[in-house]
Amino acid sequence: MLELHHVLMVSVAMLGIGTIGMLVRRNAIVMFMSVELVLNAGNLNFIAFSRFLPDPVGQVFSVFVIVIAAAEVAVGLAIVLALYRNRDTVMVDEAARMKW
Amino acid sequence: MELLVFSILAGLALAGAIGVILARNPVYSALGLLLGLSAVAGLFVVLWAEFIAVVQLMVYAGGVLVLFLFVIMLVDLEQRGLDTDAGRIGPQPSPGWRVAAAMLGILFTVFVGALLLQEPAREVPGAGALDAVLRGGGGGGALGNLEHVGQLLYTSYLVPFELASVLLLVAMIGAVVLAHRER
Amino acid sequence: MTGYLPIAVMILIGAGLPLVAFGVSMLLAPRKPEPLKYTSYECGVEPTGGVRERFSIRYYVIAVLFVIFDVETIFLFPWAVRYRVLGWFGFVEMALFIGVLVLGYAYAWKKGALEWA
Repeated sequence: MLELHHVLMVSVAMLGIGTIGMLVRRNAIVMFMSVELVLNAGNLNFIAFSRFLPDPVGQVFSVFVIVIAAAEVAVGLAIVLALYRNRDTVMVDEAARMKW
Repeated sequence: MELLVFSILAGLALAGAIGVILARNPVYSALGLLLGLSAVAGLFVVLWAEFIAVVQLMVYAGGVLVLFLFVIMLVDLEQRGLDTDAGRIGPQPSPGWRVAAAMLGILFTVFVGALLLQEPAREVPGAGALDAVLRGGGGGGALGNLEHVGQLLYTSYLVPFELASVLLLVAMIGAVVLAHRER
Repeated sequence: MTGYLPIAVMILIGAGLPLVAFGVSMLLAPRKPEPLKYTSYECGVEPTGGVRERFSIRYYVIAVLFVIFDVETIFLFPWAVRYRVLGWFGFVEMALFIGVLVLGYAYAWKKGALEWA
């Protein structure tokens, strides 16, 4: 029998993996992918509560989360491209100076 | 049966997520992300959110992932895209920093997971309770998943919906300003 | 959830078929490695340059526009389904939404981000 805390466990594991990815990786592109994992963990929570409460509002929220994720990726990856153009790197720790 | 499908999909999702952060080559990270996001879409179907599952596949697997792969191809993969310590120009990190960061994340996950396990099983509506709410019951005739989301989105959540368009506008302009080079 | 059984079977077949095909060819096919066989394939023509060619950055703006309008369509689906109930109110809502997005499109157009000269 599928219960709420099963979904929450998967969600927190995904959140943890995403957080580790943010902390450990240096490649800005992979760091953005980790952010996507974190957002997906949040979405999974919304959908889980939407089913188990039950209340469809959670699904509306997760639509907004997806929209925000798309907007974030569009601007974030443009910043990565600008970084690559100016510094010739996508590694965040190599872009530690404010001015080149 | 439901729990079995859920477990398989959850395993795939977590495997994809681990693949994202372990792969050295960002292309493999992107493929891991594809696996993870598709499996999460499957989880949404199990949790009676079919519309969100479709949205997940359309926006994430169809759009965001394409964007990621584009950027990976736009930057010079061979030379500087790989996440290795060889040939880095920045300051050298102290050796244990990755381990420390990973331990922090794992500790957090285990901690919250343990808290969840301690939670006593409470009375939750059984399988398809949301389905019952959606497909009848609550007056207003039988509404499907999609209709219900639409009804809420365009009445109660009208302002967030319009603000979402402004957010998308800002994202579009930001991307053009940052990526477009005047010649 | 039983309605999803065909989709599950489809996914299994889709994942299994290439695995079987690659596995069989790995077991049965003779292997004679040659340097020429490892060059990138270019429709039989003599390859020019490697596989990991860098793309022009202008593709990125196109891709972003695609993602933004992809997101727009996910709002159109529930709107279209509820259109009869929402009536003119819904129409004005969606017109506002699309109008704001068209502003961004017009901006990208005016900046010349869509031009390929």
